[in-house]
Amino acid sequence: MKKIIVLCIVLMLIPLFLFAGTGEKKEGITIGFSLWTMEFTFFQNLEKGVRDACEKFGYEYVMIDQNSDPQKMAQDLNSLVGQKVDGIVVTPVDPGAIGPAVQNARNAGIPVVCADIGKSGPVNALLISNNYEGGQLAMEFIDKQMKKKSSNTKKVGVGRVQPQWTYARQRGQGFMDKAKELGYTVASEIVVAVPSAEGGYDTMQQIMSAVPDVCGVFFASGREAVGAANAVKAAGKDIIVVGYNGDPEELHAIEDGILHATVAQQPWFIGYDSVRIMKEILEQGKEYEDAVVPVKVELLTPDNYKKWADEAEKRRGTPAY
Amino acid sequence: MERTRGMGIRARIARRWENFGLPLLFFVLLVIFSTLSPPFRSAYSLISNFRFSSFIGIGAIGMAFCIMNGDFDISVGSMLSLVAAMGSSFLPKIGGVSAVLFTILFSTFLGFVNGVFVTKLRIPAFITTLGMMFIYRSLAYIYTNNTPVYIENPFWLFLGNGSVLGVPFAIILMLICYVVAFLLLRRSPFGRYVIAVGTNRETAMLSGINVDRTKITVFALVGLFVGIASVVISANLGSANPGMLGQGYEFQVITAVVLGGTALGGGDGNLWGAFFAAMILTYLKNGLGLMQVDSYWQFVAVGLVLIFAVALNRLKFTLLGQRQA
Amino acid sequence: MIKFLKLYEKIGIFIFFVLGSIFLSIASPNFLRGDTILNIVAQGTYGAVVGFGMTLAITSGGFDLSVDAVMALTSVFISILIPLIGIPFAILISLIVASFVGMVNGLIITKLRVSPLITTLAMMTIIRGVALIVAGGKQIVIQQKLFMEVGTGKTLGVPNPIYIMIVLFAVFYFLLYHTAFGRHVSAVGSNESAAKISGLKVDLIKIFVFVIVSFTAGVAGTIRTSQTLIGIPTMSPGFVLVAITVTILGGTSLAGGRGNLWGTLFAGVFISMIYYGLNLIGVQIFYQMLSVGIVLLFALFIDGVRSRYLETMRAKGIKV
Repeated sequence: MKKIIVLCIVLMLIPLFLFAGTGEKKEGITIGFSLWTMEFTFFQNLEKGVRDACEKFGYEYVMIDQNSDPQKMAQDLNSLVGQKVDGIVVTPVDPGAIGPAVQNARNAGIPVVCADIGKSGPVNALLISNNYEGGQLAMEFIDKQMKKKSSNTKKVGVGRVQPQWTYARQRGQGFMDKAKELGYTVASEIVVAVPSAEGGYDTMQQIMSAVPDVCGVFFASGREAVGAANAVKAAGKDIIVVGYNGDPEELHAIEDGILHATVAQQPWFIGYDSVRIMKEILEQGKEYEDAVVPVKVELLTPDNYKKWADEAEKRRGTPAY
Repeated sequence: MERTRGMGIRARIARRWENFGLPLLFFVLLVIFSTLSPPFRSAYSLISNFRFSSFIGIGAIGMAFCIMNGDFDISVGSMLSLVAAMGSSFLPKIGGVSAVLFTILFSTFLGFVNGVFVTKLRIPAFITTLGMMFIYRSLAYIYTNNTPVYIENPFWLFLGNGSVLGVPFAIILMLICYVVAFLLLRRSPFGRYVIAVGTNRETAMLSGINVDRTKITVFALVGLFVGIASVVISANLGSANPGMLGQGYEFQVITAVVLGGTALGGGDGNLWGAFFAAMILTYLKNGLGLMQVDSYWQFVAVGLVLIFAVALNRLKFTLLGQRQA
Repeated sequence: MIKFLKLYEKIGIFIFFVLGSIFLSIASPNFLRGDTILNIVAQGTYGAVVGFGMTLAITSGGFDLSVDAVMALTSVFISILIPLIGIPFAILISLIVASFVGMVNGLIITKLRVSPLITTLAMMTIIRGVALIVAGGKQIVIQQKLFMEVGTGKTLGVPNPIYIMIVLFAVFYFLLYHTAFGRHVSAVGSNESAAKISGLKVDLIKIFVFVIVSFTAGVAGTIRTSQTLIGIPTMSPGFVLVAITVTILGGTSLAGGRGNLWGTLFAGVFISMIYYGLNLIGVQIFYQMLSVGIVLLFALFIDGVRSRYLETMRAKGIKV
């Protein structure tokens, strides 16, 4: 048994001695990007934004996917520090969990910019959509639409995101606060149990059961909103459905007339601008410390979504839906 | 090391594999990733990964005992989240040392509760811990009102991030835990009881072993190591997010134990195997990403490696004529 | 008393179901509406359908954790195939793909002798990756609106998924309790070595079981996809937990050999009732999770007491 222990420790130390310390520094500037996941269009666009910016500015680009795992996220960030990248952009799956890793980066002289979601620890800057305002926009839209109708029950429902997405929760909060302000009752507030389109479908059925005369609903996640819109259509009811994100599925749904509006974020822009800010820090020595840069969200309706989609496509180079 | 005299060549190889297979696999993995990815082989990265291995590694100790004892505990992820959230929330009031102690004692207690439900209420372990998984997780949400607890206490943070003479404390802690576990398993009567009960409950009972007491102690042990792991990981992450912490932890830990060579059916197991399996899983997660492997293919790769490695283990079982699970 | 206890084994969860209904009727005025009740049952069908497969798997002594990944894969395939070969064939091919995954699971478990837990756990990751690769990371919108009828349409006022569940229930019931295959599955689950010695082709039976489980996952995936008209590579994460909870709550023993199909059916609807009903009254999601956990423990505790009581009676020589 003792022999095994000794052997194993030796085996482990060999690579450390042979290879350690060769985190070579490349010529030019390297940006390390740690991304929550690539499973959704939002993040795919964000990633393209970061990649395009790096290409434009002539930076080396390294991307690591967190696979929605906070522990992996921390590991990856540490690896980027070990690699001695010049700047780290991170879209954290759990913004509250990057603190120590960011500290390590800053100690090594590497600036850190958070691209959406949230931040903790000594980051240089955070670019984030104004989620709270987005929720408010959704409620204002419902109110405006209801004013065109003959009767208004003034009851709304909201399909909220799961509790752990603390920053996205702001959307629902903004919606509910605005509703109260405009004299509406939030008659049903349900957390969508399954964070996917079919989850929105189920939750919408529950909202319709709980409040048979609900006049409008807001689903804080685009995919779920599309599911909800389908549920409304299947039930043959007349309810205003608003989503959030501006995902391709939502745009299709708006085109089909089942989704009435969505609050679009600008993930590509967030990604691109994060690198631009990094550029300012690295090349122009600009000071950023714990700065929060709000990014505008835009309400998309059947009137303007096509224009928005065309513009997005032109900027990004990939179709919006 | 058990004697291999008198065994055929295949059995000999299998025996060697039992002891060296996983360390070898780990070494091979290390070499492959180091060659293909410069960031992986930086000392900083290697040590950081070692540090993070303690998350699955320490938890795997308790789970190994549990599986050797013939049971399962799938509530460990939720347990981790609850105790970390609760314990760290007390930091401002009672200070670092007390909070850490509370966390570990509380999670040991939760393990004890699991054990009591399994033995006295006679609900099968899998089902009990399935129910407790829901219960612990929801309690974590309710207690923190679903807000993450940020950790700033230096003592707590040190346990996960600090170093002693250049060696990260988390690594020292993991090694200490494994040595203690090894002594408990191989050099104490308790260890023998655990394995006996896992091998054949009736026989163990007839031999005079207090099965219930053994089981409860095993579950308490699971809780103990989960508590230690929870302190380390929440220190590494700087926070305890009730919703996110420990999601999927039970699967990772069980995977490490099985990959390490412990049979799911109970009975003798491989503690050091679990150690290396935890290392392999942690380094693999990191390495695949650093090699810039396409995200979706990473899913496929991890699954394939798992099946491959466990299949190799099964081969060893067959060659040695040991029990299947 | 003993008669009641034996009956309980069959209808235990049904009693919970009735109690839950009574509670909800009092707590919410909207519960007793026709469409609410139909929706609750419809939402229970997804868990029940996969639950039937899971019941078969657990009865055979195995386990399948990959079901939600198979649902996602089916969803992706359907969304890609419908524009190419039309709805009926798309569904057919996708179900075949799902079944194929099950066959792979079965082969790995029987030929490579990897335990079902690890196999299906690993396959879950692999299939999720495959689904993402096939879909190119996109959520694929289905243009053919007719497909919506599968999951959202109503026949004679009853949502279609309920019919699908009933048909599958009938098939499974027949398969499990009235065919040799069903008996063989139970035999393999109760005592695998004995079954093998008796001459049963254990490996083949197991493979077949896993094919069936994945098939049910494919059906569930089809229904869900039709409701949103989107091929979702990331569909229903964590759904396997629902399927397992439903199966266990329904009274199927983890030890294998005794599958409780009625139980799975009622448990599926009951779990749906808990989530739906609590949302109806406005209870927060944390308490819903808590309720499920407590119900699970309580129900299995009662079940344990019951079976031990019967054991004691049996040991005393009383006719049971």
